[in-house]
Amino acid sequence: MRIFQLLSALFKINVQMTLAYRLDTLVNILLNLFWLGWELLGLNIIFSNTKSLGGWGFGELIALLGVFRLVNALMAALIMPNTQQFNTAVRDGTLDYTLLQPVNSMFLVTFSRMVIWRVWDLLLGAILIIVGMQLSGSKENLFGLLSFLLLATTGSIILYSLWIVMIAATFWFIKFDNNVTMLDALLSTGRYPVTIYPIWLRVIVTFVVPVAVATTVPLQALRGDLNGLQVLLYAGISLVAFLVATRMWKAGVRHYSGASS
Amino acid sequence: MIKIYQRLWQVNWAEQWQYRANLLMYSLYGLVSPVVYLAVWTTIANSQGSVSGLTANDFITYYLTLLIVDQLTSDITIHILANKIQDGTLAGDLLRPAHPVLTSTLVYNIAFKALSFIVLIPVWIILVLLFQPNFGMVTPGSLLLSIPTLLFGFAINFLFGATLTSLAFWTTRVYSVSEFFGALVVLFSGQFVPLQLMPPAIQTVAQYLPFQLFKFVPIEIILNKLSPETIARDFVAYLVWFVILFLIFRWTWREGIKRFSAVGA
Repeated sequence: MRIFQLLSALFKINVQMTLAYRLDTLVNILLNLFWLGWELLGLNIIFSNTKSLGGWGFGELIALLGVFRLVNALMAALIMPNTQQFNTAVRDGTLDYTLLQPVNSMFLVTFSRMVIWRVWDLLLGAILIIVGMQLSGSKENLFGLLSFLLLATTGSIILYSLWIVMIAATFWFIKFDNNVTMLDALLSTGRYPVTIYPIWLRVIVTFVVPVAVATTVPLQALRGDLNGLQVLLYAGISLVAFLVATRMWKAGVRHYSGASS
Repeated sequence: MIKIYQRLWQVNWAEQWQYRANLLMYSLYGLVSPVVYLAVWTTIANSQGSVSGLTANDFITYYLTLLIVDQLTSDITIHILANKIQDGTLAGDLLRPAHPVLTSTLVYNIAFKALSFIVLIPVWIILVLLFQPNFGMVTPGSLLLSIPTLLFGFAINFLFGATLTSLAFWTTRVYSVSEFFGALVVLFSGQFVPLQLMPPAIQTVAQYLPFQLFKFVPIEIILNKLSPETIARDFVAYLVWFVILFLIFRWTWREGIKRFSAVGA
């Protein structure tokens, strides 16, 4: 319960910070729309040369773009800004003040900054998914829809856990500015179905930096490519990942000795 | 003058050598998008034999060459200069008896380029082993011809970036402006897809923009895809755009400096 109160307090603070820069928000949304047009043009060029990309049609790729946008919003709205703040805080010791708060420090470190205008991206992502699935004309059933929602959530949890592990490593290395570079750089592979990539890249984005688990996999569920057992497997993996990440975070905090005074 | 450049080179090289591990990570950013598009187009080419006459090998060689060309002609001026203009530290550089952009910014750019190129080579060799391209069409002549296009491609890109960065004298949103142009560059330079696969309208527009000179033209020259007439025409385009952008940059910089009022003592 307290977590939700805190979350809404943090949300309000960040909304207020955004409101101080209204024109910036507008410019950002316009640029974002421009990129959307760009991405749709890209898909259009691809599909003017072919009917299907690795078995996926135009509509399905638009839906995938929608899922990609959701994950990208997670990256841009939470992961990037909080990591930046965290890296500085570890080095100059201001993290002490965060750790002293009577709240779960992992929660506080990962949710204190939110790029509010990215809410727009969530909306746009949802629209793209719906429009894309309509275009593809496939008949979704309830099972597909539910497992899509479940896998989109578990996929995000897996990426969130990986993020925790990476920033927790900063407690040992102190100067580890590149902790999320891998994740950020490989994220753009999520625009296309993982099945088209050569095997080595597929292994990387499935097991090492599991971008595909949060992008291709949920959509595979919606397309009806996955059975119940596989869905449960992914859900189980996300649970394990989250537990490992929490453990690692706690060990990191214990190892951290502060840089101030 | 030569002495100035020599000194700047030593300083910049020594400074950036400290960040070689970071560079390895950052080079990932440049790597991912060409590999993704390579996968997209080879998948299509393999499923239907070819795409508008381009085979899977054409796409593989195109994007692998793009990795190199992109590295050589890319420009990072905005990241070096924009915050200097915004926080006023440019004032110190302006006191020196040499043009800050054409000396220290340029040398920083080149030192960064040299280092990231060294980092790229082993990664590139691994990619070549993984994708097994056939580079049979590349000849010593085509490589030789590409050298001036790479030099001028970088020069034009640098002047373009420096002009964009100079907008920081007028607006604080220079990064948004640059992002907008970045998207245009991706589209019109051949980064996304070889230009001949673009809709005809976009191809025509691309002809009248300098962006294809950064990537598409050098790649096609290296891969021996262009006729002598086209190459001659492109060489003229390089010279014309070089002069145009140099004049635009000189004018923007001069007007910008007039407006510049440094903060802090």
